[in-house]
Amino acid sequence: MKFDDVLCPFCGCLCDDITVTAEGGRVTGVDNTCLLGTSKFLGDNRLKNPIMRTDDGWKDVTYDEAIASTLDALLEADRPLLYGWSGTHGEAQCIGVHMAELLGAVIDNTSSVCHGPSILAIQEVGHPGCTLGQVKNRADVIIYWGCNPTEAHPRHMSRYTTYADGYFLDNAFRDRTVIVVDVRRTETAELADVFVEIKPGGDYAVLSALRAMVRGRDEMIPDSIAGVSKEQLRHIVEICKNAKFCAVFFGVGLTMTRGKYKNVRNAIELVDELSRHTKATITPMRGHFNVYGSNEVNTWMSGYPYAIDFCRGIAFYNPGETTAVDILARKECDAALIVASDPAAHLPSKCIRHLANIPVVQIDPYPNMTTAFCNLQIPVAVSGIDAEGTAYRMDGVPIRLRKVLETEYPTDTMLLGRIYEAMMEVRGR
Amino acid sequence: MMRVLLEVKPRKKPLLPIEAECITPASFLEERDLTVWKGNRELMLSNVFNVSVTGEVDSVDGVEVVLRGETSRIKRVGEYMEGGRIIIEDDIGMHCGNFMSGGRIEVHGNAAAWLGREMRGGEIICHGDAGDYCASGYRGEKRGMRGGRVEVCGNAGDFAGEHLSGGSLIIHGDAGDFPGVEMRGGEIMIFGDCTRACGNMTGGRCHVFGTVHEMLPTFRNMGEVVHEDTGQVLTAFRGDVANRGKGNLFVGNYQYME
Repeated sequence: MKFDDVLCPFCGCLCDDITVTAEGGRVTGVDNTCLLGTSKFLGDNRLKNPIMRTDDGWKDVTYDEAIASTLDALLEADRPLLYGWSGTHGEAQCIGVHMAELLGAVIDNTSSVCHGPSILAIQEVGHPGCTLGQVKNRADVIIYWGCNPTEAHPRHMSRYTTYADGYFLDNAFRDRTVIVVDVRRTETAELADVFVEIKPGGDYAVLSALRAMVRGRDEMIPDSIAGVSKEQLRHIVEICKNAKFCAVFFGVGLTMTRGKYKNVRNAIELVDELSRHTKATITPMRGHFNVYGSNEVNTWMSGYPYAIDFCRGIAFYNPGETTAVDILARKECDAALIVASDPAAHLPSKCIRHLANIPVVQIDPYPNMTTAFCNLQIPVAVSGIDAEGTAYRMDGVPIRLRKVLETEYPTDTMLLGRIYEAMMEVRGR
Repeated sequence: MMRVLLEVKPRKKPLLPIEAECITPASFLEERDLTVWKGNRELMLSNVFNVSVTGEVDSVDGVEVVLRGETSRIKRVGEYMEGGRIIIEDDIGMHCGNFMSGGRIEVHGNAAAWLGREMRGGEIICHGDAGDYCASGYRGEKRGMRGGRVEVCGNAGDFAGEHLSGGSLIIHGDAGDFPGVEMRGGEIMIFGDCTRACGNMTGGRCHVFGTVHEMLPTFRNMGEVVHEDTGQVLTAFRGDVANRGKGNLFVGNYQYME
């Protein structure tokens, strides 16, 4: 059976033009996906049932036993951590926040190791953003700063920027100017009209210089900043000021290098400065397909986008203190529930060592690196393949994930709902 | 004079943080139950500390609270403190002296992050190192420390004095990255080195007697001046021009990231 206009549940692009062929309870073919999306749709080796670690190795358990064991681990903990959430749909994320509040837990999502700093910067100075549709149809200058969409968001350039036809651009490919700023000549840099090679850690200084130059204060700027000549900076300023619509995209090259949110703040303030001359916007290149959704759900439910500490019954937020990386590195939690992410593949080894020493329950369809030390893994349906729900694209547009397979696996919403109900019963609520 | 000795008891999970904003001199003036939080459990103060109180006073200024033992995970000590004295014999956890407006806190070990966060008055002396965000503001807060004095005898972490808008921050050792970032008032003195001082500053004064590495290119060089107290020749800068700032930055040496 063929399904058209399916959403790809891989990266923040949330491409919505995928054709999926499904036969015999599995996906047999996909069209329009990139390599990353293809591997997600055709993914194999799912866990067949919940597995629990024992002294003699893994033991198959039922969902009821798995839920009972999860309750034991989380209800006994003084400071449980609920981490992940970016690879599932919004409805499941809602239950996660309710669960954190009931448990007095810390709930954090993967943005604390990707675009969390972008949110901190936005909280300081706001977000002059727009939808990707606006960029596609209007932007004649595109800046990719500290990101490499060719490899991380492979269809971004063909759907929204360089190779996408735009309503207000006669010849989009030729009319758009693409500037890439990065510490190395990436695949994306090869496709750029202007490539700016910057020294690692030099983003803030270059952004400050650009802001001053946009304001006409270029006489005070040194001849070279972080490996970039003043002449090249002047060229970029001219391109941006003469643009009809300048769209800046940035990635973890800006958010996860020294200065973190200050880099992003400076980039936003550059966009503000450019907006005195032309239309300019800025958009983070979000990674997981629904990490933006996780921030949205957390914010509408608790007031904060990630790293929320419910230990005292009210929401407290302080990245650096309540973020998963910091809590784990300081060994400040005594149990963890991992949902729809693989911390062992992304967090520093110090954090993983602590996770290996506390009770960890993982909810994920596939065995992954976290399986190597978790105490219990419960398989669920894959959001966007055999579970539907809501996801948010990198520009904040919510889109409904479709379901292309019937399944016997519970969805994240069903499983988390059962765990939450059992918790409420134990707590007498 | 009233002396309160709080000695940390051995704990089963010693790495879990304890939130103890009740530990201020004023809390011990009247007899009432004081509680702290260990994760999601609320505990009596006496479950975590051996508490001994000697002497009686009428005013908070006569109260001295001494913390003894493993206190590096005790957070929010001295929050909203208005007077009296707190002496911490070893390291102290995050947010020590949050919003304090009077009195004195003395830390004999190191202080974790957010020491003197959004402090309004009083004095904090840290004999060891201070963590990140010393005398800064909370996330998204436009004003950090507003008054009082924080003195760090060792080094300070990154973002010291972020959003500083009043008072003085003195760091005898090195400061990390971005001291005085977004500062709009007040004074910072750094006797060692740092990197990227005072990015986006709009006001206030910052002296760095050592070297500023990766000096930001958007500060206007105003020439050399002699510092009155030390006699050291410093280069004066004004900025941050990127932010239309009118802050004053004085540095012993500086290097751009070329």
